[in-house]
Amino acid sequence: MILETDVLVIGGGSAGAMAAIVAKEQNPEIDVTVLEKGEISRSGSIALGMDALNIVVLPGITTPELYMKSARIATEGIVDYKPSYVMAERSYSILKRLEGWGIRFPRDDENKYISLQVHAKGSFLLEMDSPELKLVLAEKVKEAGVRVVNRTIVTRLLTDGEQVYGAMGFNIRTGEFVVCKAKATILANGGCARFSLPNSGYLYGTFDYPGNAGDGYSLAYRAGAQLTGFEFTQCSPLIKDINCPLLYITLTRGAEVVNALGETIDLEYVSTQNMLKELREGKGPIFIKMNHLPEERIQDIERILFTTERPIQKKFWENRGIDFREGLIELGETEYQLCGGHGLTGIVVNEKTETTLKGLYAAGDVACVPLQHLTGAFVFGEVAAEEAVKFASNNDLGEVDQNLIKNEEQRLLNVMDNNKSGSISVQDFEYKVRRTISDYAIPPKNEIKLKRFLWWLPRFRDDMKDIQVTDHHELSRYEEIQFILDSAELSVHASLAREESRWGWFHHRTDYPEKDDANWLKHVVLEKGLKSGEVQTLLVDIENGGEH
Amino acid sequence: MPLIVDEDLCTSCGVCVDRCTMDIIRLNDDGFPYKKYDECWYCGVCEEDCPENALIIDLPFQVK
Repeated sequence: MILETDVLVIGGGSAGAMAAIVAKEQNPEIDVTVLEKGEISRSGSIALGMDALNIVVLPGITTPELYMKSARIATEGIVDYKPSYVMAERSYSILKRLEGWGIRFPRDDENKYISLQVHAKGSFLLEMDSPELKLVLAEKVKEAGVRVVNRTIVTRLLTDGEQVYGAMGFNIRTGEFVVCKAKATILANGGCARFSLPNSGYLYGTFDYPGNAGDGYSLAYRAGAQLTGFEFTQCSPLIKDINCPLLYITLTRGAEVVNALGETIDLEYVSTQNMLKELREGKGPIFIKMNHLPEERIQDIERILFTTERPIQKKFWENRGIDFREGLIELGETEYQLCGGHGLTGIVVNEKTETTLKGLYAAGDVACVPLQHLTGAFVFGEVAAEEAVKFASNNDLGEVDQNLIKNEEQRLLNVMDNNKSGSISVQDFEYKVRRTISDYAIPPKNEIKLKRFLWWLPRFRDDMKDIQVTDHHELSRYEEIQFILDSAELSVHASLAREESRWGWFHHRTDYPEKDDANWLKHVVLEKGLKSGEVQTLLVDIENGGEH
Repeated sequence: MPLIVDEDLCTSCGVCVDRCTMDIIRLNDDGFPYKKYDECWYCGVCEEDCPENALIIDLPFQVK
């Protein structure tokens, strides 16, 4: 399949669906294409909705400046001013847009939105009641006349190293090779949820949607874009074993966290780091306690947890025989992940979502706007669409080197051919890769440990010739293992480069245990060396602004 | 980890196959859905979107 389009969106989740809708709003005449690995009505990280819009600046109540103060505290200073400011500034119009589409934001008795405080300097989290959010977005994409190509994994960007001209991939069911030439390309295909191994040992038992394997990080890196924040390997204390979220929903409604000694943990605006610290100090297990809450509140919590985001929780608790009215909920540490929404990791972007490559924009979890959550995905989906449409109207499709296309098609055909009778299943291979990430690439870190991963890396890449690939579904998992390996390589290089400890446990170096603001209040930026082809690291100043 | 299908209710419409977020469901020779690949994230989309309420997903033993 060879497609030509004005604006190509890679990934049809929260950011990508919004980008596609807004691109058509900007100019209904242009051609917009979404390449989606799943099926757009239920794809990305919000397949079954979301319970809150995490960052909304309500006029007359909070301000973008106040949000920036919170963001600086939450990121320990590793945040550029403009992108996060723009997100906060545009957050209210996102709320209004979603309301216009029928998404419900509950109000209190005085008809005010219900906001909850999870940030240091203000209540920015707004309750949202929307199990059907993704269905609504997908419907809007369809109404707008966007071309959606489902079940298509993107494996390479079309680029000459300076500008991006579209992407290539294949249909994960039929194997059909797909080339999409584009005037402007928006990457919106998520973070890397399949990073370290979950404690359950189950490969797909991750907190975030496991279809996100670092696809976008790998694509951007290989194309020559800059990335940053990869040293900030991040995890959360969530429901032990199943790794489903429930923290904000319960803790902002009066639940408490207690440790094994029966002590209540000081949460400081739902600081996950405080909870994780208790576990590391041997004061675990830690539990969420709700038995002091009124029946009405418990029912409210159950209604949200059992209908939105991860409703499977209902079965989990039934199976364990635990009722929130009496029982305690044990929290465990999730796997470590790389993510722009929950963390500080992603492709380098400015406030216009421009990457360091011409014609390539990035939005949502794949982009580094720290802790942007769902609000960031929507705001920068809009921004990316505006910028990409502008770019597309001033640029042609460009001349793509036909060899790039031929080589990629041949590479994929070769894997199907050569790996037919491989001796290692894709799952066994991924298990060892991610177990090795758990062994060496996550905190506590030190130089020797991190370099152990680099010892394994070329061996893994070489051993991939022995993975058994019998159909195109397995070929997509094979490609995802490459994305995971690339993400881990970037993470280890960034972790080695930052010779200090920062962001609490998440980048804790036992050989550099102190935070060093004098030297390290900087971004560690990664890019592919032009000559060496190896990961290059550079230090870049934080872009300051506003009041400190 | 099985997908529990009520064969009296299932019409083999394939919505579960279309919507599965990990693309692991297929229809067997009798037209009923099964998990072809052991990669379920138990997101619940198949169960939620089944127009006949014919599907129940179970959690993998490892996380149950």
